Amino acid sequence: MAVPINLRSVTKSYSRGGETLRVLDELDLDMDGGTFYALMGPSGSGKTTLLNLVGGLDHCDSGHVAVGADNLNDMTSSELAEWRSANVGFVFQGFNLLPVLSARENVELPLLLAPLSKSQRREQAERALELVGLKDRMKHKPRELSGGQEQRVAIARAIATDPQVLLADEPTGDLDRETADAVLQILQRLNRELDKTILMVTHDPQAAGYADKTIHLDKGKLGRIEENTNITGAN
Amino acid sequence: MPWALLFRNMLGHPVRSALTVLSVAVALALLCVLDATARGYTSAVDLAAQNRLVVMSQVSLFVPLPLAYQQKMEQVEGVQTTTKFQWFGGEYGDRGGFFAQFGVDADAFETMYKEVSLVEGSFDEFRGERTGCVIGKGLAAQYGWALGDEVRLTSAIFPRGAGGKEAWTFVVRGIYEAKRKNFDEQTMFFHFDYIRDSLETGAAQGAEGAGTYAIEIDPNMRAETVMSAIDALFENGPQRTRTTSEAEFNRQFMSMMGNIPLLLRSIGGAVLFAIFFAVLNTMLMAGRERTRDLGIMKALGFKNGHIGMMLVVESMVLILIGSLLGVVLAKGLAEVMRPFVSGFAPGFAIDGAVLAQGLTIAGVLGLVSGLAPGLRAIRILPVHALREDA
Repeated sequence: MAVPINLRSVTKSYSRGGETLRVLDELDLDMDGGTFYALMGPSGSGKTTLLNLVGGLDHCDSGHVAVGADNLNDMTSSELAEWRSANVGFVFQGFNLLPVLSARENVELPLLLAPLSKSQRREQAERALELVGLKDRMKHKPRELSGGQEQRVAIARAIATDPQVLLADEPTGDLDRETADAVLQILQRLNRELDKTILMVTHDPQAAGYADKTIHLDKGKLGRIEENTNITGAN
Repeated sequence: MPWALLFRNMLGHPVRSALTVLSVAVALALLCVLDATARGYTSAVDLAAQNRLVVMSQVSLFVPLPLAYQQKMEQVEGVQTTTKFQWFGGEYGDRGGFFAQFGVDADAFETMYKEVSLVEGSFDEFRGERTGCVIGKGLAAQYGWALGDEVRLTSAIFPRGAGGKEAWTFVVRGIYEAKRKNFDEQTMFFHFDYIRDSLETGAAQGAEGAGTYAIEIDPNMRAETVMSAIDALFENGPQRTRTTSEAEFNRQFMSMMGNIPLLLRSIGGAVLFAIFFAVLNTMLMAGRERTRDLGIMKALGFKNGHIGMMLVVESMVLILIGSLLGVVLAKGLAEVMRPFVSGFAPGFAIDGAVLAQGLTIAGVLGLVSGLAPGLRAIRILPVHALREDA
């Protein structure tokens, strides 16, 4: 089931050097379930903060963040952790794989929190790696993989628990064009074939071209939402 | 618990982990040996026989009591058996090999000291030879002595021959093991009469008399009554006496050397503190280096409790491996040290009590060392942890 994301009057501020910075300012935003969104805006416009709030990594100061039927404001940090493990997958710019674990063990990591046997975990991790075309590299450590392969492992980890929402923070920021396109195609396929709701922060208009819609943020406020009429890679 | 991750993290810095494990092992071994020495030292007091008394001069341990006192003491109500106990102070070989030797009355000694059990030879053979002696099995092992071997000692207290350089000759007629921890296995017992006869014939020089008398009393008698009676008996004698229980005598004797157990345990405490800070530093470094990894785990849904517990368990596992190595090291070290230590710490042994205390301390050390980074990991917000440089 595709999961929508709704934000109402969301405000978030940070204190830096004795100064309070309002990063998100009374933001209202509705995202449809099963849609691939690109989130763009200049540095400091609140893109990553928005991603963190939607992913339950942080609380807003005021307002409401709802993912599907779940209101994240009402959850304690422990409940949020539990919610994250079942409902959301993260893909980061720096890949963020654990260097001491193999590709398969990295993908298995979130599955440790699910009620699965060891063989079920292994099977599910291998299936996720197969989905991103890396089953033959599952025993490799991150340092033995290229940047594109690392990011594909990170995507496999993000989808291993079959969450309905994927959050990607500059997933192609550290990759060359060709590799970036391959990663974006995987994200697009996950959206098309598995109906995942995807929110991807990016500075790259070409990357945004893979999304259905582009949200523009400016100084913590919603600028505009553009429908992408010429989606890259779409058939 | 992600065990694979936990062990991989430990192996991620093999040199650091190995050094931490080794430092814990050495510290625990040292701690156990020091504790065993302290316990062994006090065991002479704690496990002293309840029905044995020691009589010495009221002036000093170094002033001998007249030999005539023995017969008079045996007339006191409650006294069952007596033996002289004469410190010999002999040295073995040119390099001053030293161990304790006492001249005793063989029959009484066998009757009174049931904890001395002969494993080779017999008391009959000992009794039958004026120069015979029995030695502890630790002493036999240390010098490689066997039954029938001659042991030649020179004594500054009872010098023989011109210039006091002539050796006394003893023949090993028994090798004992101690059945209780109050008795060491590094001592030689020989016939007091060997000294007396040598003094009487002029073959040796030295003060006549006995350094102390050991007395076994009727277990139905109050020890205080017998002690008072003996001291009253010699109130007007050539030497006034001071009679104490064996435990009290041992305590006073040991106090002459200062509070050794306190000193040993203080050193052990210092070792413990040093290792605590070393392990704590290692774990704090490990936790700080892994801040970003912990942030990733939080993002994946691991709860604060999981993350904190992982660091605590990692610390405990490191300490556990170090402790097991430390136990092996302590056992080996104890075997090497036993001949040198058991003379003044007869109960010296790495036994269950010593190991239990050492391992408990190590467990607490591991827990506390893991708690500091564990609590930090719990407190840090995932968004802050993810911002840390990898």
